Amino acid sequence: MQRRDFFKKSLVVAGAAAIGTSLEAASLPKDNAKVSNIAFPQKRPMITYSDRPPLLESSRGVFSQAITPNDQFFVRWHMPEIPTHVDLNTFRLKVNGEVKKELSLSVDQLKNEFEAVEFTAVLQCGGNGRSAFTPIAGGIQWGNGAVGNATWKGVRLRDILERAGINKEAGWVGFNGMDNASYYETPNFVREMSLTELDDHVIVAYEMNGEELPYLNGFPLRLIVPGYYSDSWVKMLSNLTLTKSYQKLFFMDVAYRIPDNECECEEPGEKNVKTKPIKKMNVKSIIGYPTNNTVVYNNSHVTVRGVAFDQGKGIRAVLVSVDEGKTWEEAILHKDTLGRYSFREFRYSFKPTKFGKQKIMSKAISKSGEEQPLAENIKWNHGGYKYNGVDVVTIEVV
Amino acid sequence: MYKSILLAMLSVIALNAADVREIREDIEVPYISYDIKMGEHFDAVQTSCLTCHSFGYIVNQGPQSKAFWRGKVEKMVVHFKAPMTDAESADVTEYLFKHYGNGQEK
Repeated sequence: MQRRDFFKKSLVVAGAAAIGTSLEAASLPKDNAKVSNIAFPQKRPMITYSDRPPLLESSRGVFSQAITPNDQFFVRWHMPEIPTHVDLNTFRLKVNGEVKKELSLSVDQLKNEFEAVEFTAVLQCGGNGRSAFTPIAGGIQWGNGAVGNATWKGVRLRDILERAGINKEAGWVGFNGMDNASYYETPNFVREMSLTELDDHVIVAYEMNGEELPYLNGFPLRLIVPGYYSDSWVKMLSNLTLTKSYQKLFFMDVAYRIPDNECECEEPGEKNVKTKPIKKMNVKSIIGYPTNNTVVYNNSHVTVRGVAFDQGKGIRAVLVSVDEGKTWEEAILHKDTLGRYSFREFRYSFKPTKFGKQKIMSKAISKSGEEQPLAENIKWNHGGYKYNGVDVVTIEVV
Repeated sequence: MYKSILLAMLSVIALNAADVREIREDIEVPYISYDIKMGEHFDAVQTSCLTCHSFGYIVNQGPQSKAFWRGKVEKMVVHFKAPMTDAESADVTEYLFKHYGNGQEK
């Protein structure tokens, strides 16, 4: 950069700061994190942000297919102490609190004594795509891959609670897993749900994509709350406690919250913003192929593949643009066989006709009409939650 | 005697049969060495932070203001109950800002 250019750029930045308009609050999440050369148990090597607690991200390529393989499924724990062995002979899921009779259920009992239900649902971290936000929002700087889609098999939570018998006064159910903090005083990763929020799609799963759950995804039992961000999907679930009233919880009251206003946004540094839990997912699409820097021949047929999802309203359309967003064309949606909570595959074929860099953009629209915004139109929130910008990959045409 | 050995063996087999599992032993979570910067107060960082999380949490955060890092340390003390003295908190904040700061106070 020449000296003159440098000053010109600084002036623009200074000007924007002076009149108080932020530059862009979001751009694209980073997409260049390296896959580690060390594999975690039951996983292929993945992008690894931390080993304790383990934080593993999937690479973009996995999003060209509807089902995310277990060994490439993202991992996010909060506490450093994760059981590294669970003996199914002694493991029990406890149900207690405001119930007529306390239960202590083995995985075998869940499999044999309850009706099995199975469905496919997207699991996404509320902070997926956080690295898109400017100024940097606190937390792990996830790219696009803190999300996956799996077929979960298990038992309806309602059926378990019915067997225990819920006391009339009970209003809430709390979920606790087996992970532990280093210090006794540190709050456990406990979640609560109002019994009014509970529907038949909330299940306690013992199977993921036809296999037992990988340890790092919550073996042997995981709470499945389709449509909700993954902070509600408690791993290594070992305890259900019914209570009359809501208990104060760090991971509900402080973390995983967004501004409680229409744009779910705030100015950096703004004080006393009223907040709410992140809860349900917004509409999103991710391109799985091509990936950034893929090289293709001019005039060759390129088939773009990706996935789209939302909170369970279903996907109406995915639009693709290969001219920087000037025109958009509908992609072909794969048959809707996996249900409304699942990734919906899309594909779009085109022929690049210009040499050099070529942008491919994808935008999902849900059946309720919710549309993925462009990254530059996304407003900031302090936790960097719920990023869902139009996806963009840039390939090279030679 | 033989009978009891036989019984013991049978019960082991029975247990294994009931425990149809892909993994029967402990899993081992690998250690990864994160490239962390050395400097003043690194000892405080090592004792205060590593008990609960890897350096990955620090190096993957991105450059941040002093107020941001102070807030993070406060969060660890207030919400996660890290047993840090005020002096340790100040030292850790200082270190984080010096090596992983963006040069801005706020």
